Amino acid sequence: MNTIIIFVSKLSLFFIKNLFNRPGSTWPGEIALRLNNNFIKGILNNSSLKIILIAGTNGKTTTATLMRFLLEKNSKKVFQNEEGANLLNGIASSIIKNINIGGKFNSDTAIFEVDENTLPLALKQITPSAVIILNLFRDQLDRYGEVNMIASKWQESLKYLTASTIILNGDDPLINSLGKDLKSETIYFGVSKKLMKRKEIPHDVDSAYCPQCGSELKYDAIAYSHLGNYQCLKCGFKRNGAETYEHENINYPLFGLYNIYNINAVILTLEKVFELPLVQIKKIIASFKPAFGRQEVIFYKKRKFIIFLSKNPAGFNQAIETAKEMKGSRKHLLIVLNDRIPDGTDISWIWDVDFERIAGFSQIMLSGDRTDDLVLRLKYAGEKGITVKENPEEAIGTMIDVSVAGETIYVLATYTGMLEIRKILTGKKLL
Amino acid sequence: MNLTIGWLYPDLMSTYGDRGNIIVFQKRSEWRNIEVKVKKISLKEPADEIESCDLLFMGGAQDIQQEIVNRDLQQQKGKIIIAALENNIPGLFICGAYQFLGKFYKAADGTIIKGLSYFDLYTENPGPGVKRLIGNIVIKSTLTNSEIVGFENHGGRTYLGKKEQAFAKVVRGFGNNGEDGTEGIIHKNAIGTYLHGPVLPKNPELADYLLEKALSVKYKKEIKLPSLDDLPEQKAKQFVIEKYF
Repeated sequence: MNTIIIFVSKLSLFFIKNLFNRPGSTWPGEIALRLNNNFIKGILNNSSLKIILIAGTNGKTTTATLMRFLLEKNSKKVFQNEEGANLLNGIASSIIKNINIGGKFNSDTAIFEVDENTLPLALKQITPSAVIILNLFRDQLDRYGEVNMIASKWQESLKYLTASTIILNGDDPLINSLGKDLKSETIYFGVSKKLMKRKEIPHDVDSAYCPQCGSELKYDAIAYSHLGNYQCLKCGFKRNGAETYEHENINYPLFGLYNIYNINAVILTLEKVFELPLVQIKKIIASFKPAFGRQEVIFYKKRKFIIFLSKNPAGFNQAIETAKEMKGSRKHLLIVLNDRIPDGTDISWIWDVDFERIAGFSQIMLSGDRTDDLVLRLKYAGEKGITVKENPEEAIGTMIDVSVAGETIYVLATYTGMLEIRKILTGKKLL
Repeated sequence: MNLTIGWLYPDLMSTYGDRGNIIVFQKRSEWRNIEVKVKKISLKEPADEIESCDLLFMGGAQDIQQEIVNRDLQQQKGKIIIAALENNIPGLFICGAYQFLGKFYKAADGTIIKGLSYFDLYTENPGPGVKRLIGNIVIKSTLTNSEIVGFENHGGRTYLGKKEQAFAKVVRGFGNNGEDGTEGIIHKNAIGTYLHGPVLPKNPELADYLLEKALSVKYKKEIKLPSLDDLPEQKAKQFVIEKYF
């Protein structure tokens, strides 16, 4: 049966690619799943693939892409689902692309990033070697619902795993608490305390209360958002002795504290699940190039554009902090806010972003479908001297006029905004 | 003039950018040279802090946070909040906070969670099988005589008692329950509403209405605030009205 499904969906992939010139990152999988609900399960049960699932609000694509890069440099054959195609149909599509008609894979490892709501469904189909859970922040409440609800669904589904390795962020109280009562081996990553420089809990936080008893958590240091060194004085729940690598002289290939988390998660997984020695990882990690839109650097008209996909308060605040910390005397900032389906239609989260902390940019340009809301947000943040061009193409044109060759333009954009900007800068369409 | 705003449970009841409402109260006061102080009142703070406030605000939250807050409200703070509202102190209560001030909340599993019974209303959650009421919303309020825009996202359906007055009529969207065309409640100077967005930035007339009420009650005379340049506010509001409706 599955042989026929593979054939049919491969055929559809061929047509989608050649007739419609689309990547086919979801539809072939959708067709396969409609023909057989348990398509993924059936195929994967019969394979010897090592499967890694990656979940969390922010950092999935970067983590998956970095892991794949490091594994391939160590002669593994890896495939992953396409960025953004992180529902079951995206996973199924990537299977169809990478399997032959005889039902055999030409790879030994599969890395799947999974959407918040998809993790429990994926775990019904897939028995992974490892599950990595990066973090849980407020994101698109209209689509995903509230973080506690997501966490309890995750916990329920992780309980059924018996022989996987569960890799959790020990600095995130809610994620740390998922490790309670699991049958599988559970290990934790985090960052070292010396990187936790904030003392005050920011307002974008949902987890400053103990996930076990509901009392207030006491933090003595905060990395960002609700990630930090915490403990509950009432029930004793506390940060888990998390594995960090900053003291290992690693050449981190990405900027920002949030990426140290992603990178540490990758290194821990490679060490524990793939038994890859740290020296081996250190040798190659610096040559990693970021996934598109994730601190991706594009040169355009002699300006350096660095694109930060920023789609929720935690990610946005980290992008602002990272851009502020980076060197350069004249820095320019472009913010693009769209509210299409992939971005999330509710944009209330911009009021949880610390726009009050934006400082040190020579030029701030606002753009995108919801420019009016950005203008309003920055008015109330007390920011003056803002330029506004709803159309991203015009926004970039103006920024080129105002800047000089060699300067850096930081782009903070929601998903579809990021795609538009990339298209303008690279001259080609991707996805 | 000066004004003290009581922000109730900012660490627990603040989701969907609700803190934007506090920013708006603060800035619109400052722009008119009104000295403004925001008091954050949460679990640790003593209940009598509420008595020194001229305006109260409380946002929405997730279930677990709501449980924690509900326990705290049932002790001291609930009574003091009600006493303040009875004394005409204005308040803005969003979503979960709005539900708390009603008589009860019937959860999806049938559990009854007692409210503070300040508003004569109750809320029912029909359960996971029934869709949440989510989306952009436009309402028309006689209070401000204007269209008010926001974003709603609630599972609970709220029904007002016969003598209670709705805050607004639904123009597009769901409102209290998606059935009777009402949105929110106004009782004395306290407004309960489902509108996130947050509601005040794009509806400055509502912010000013509450600020004027707060000052008028405090200084015991009718106070009218000078108008401000609200062009960006109106533009953003108009955008929502035109785009979605």
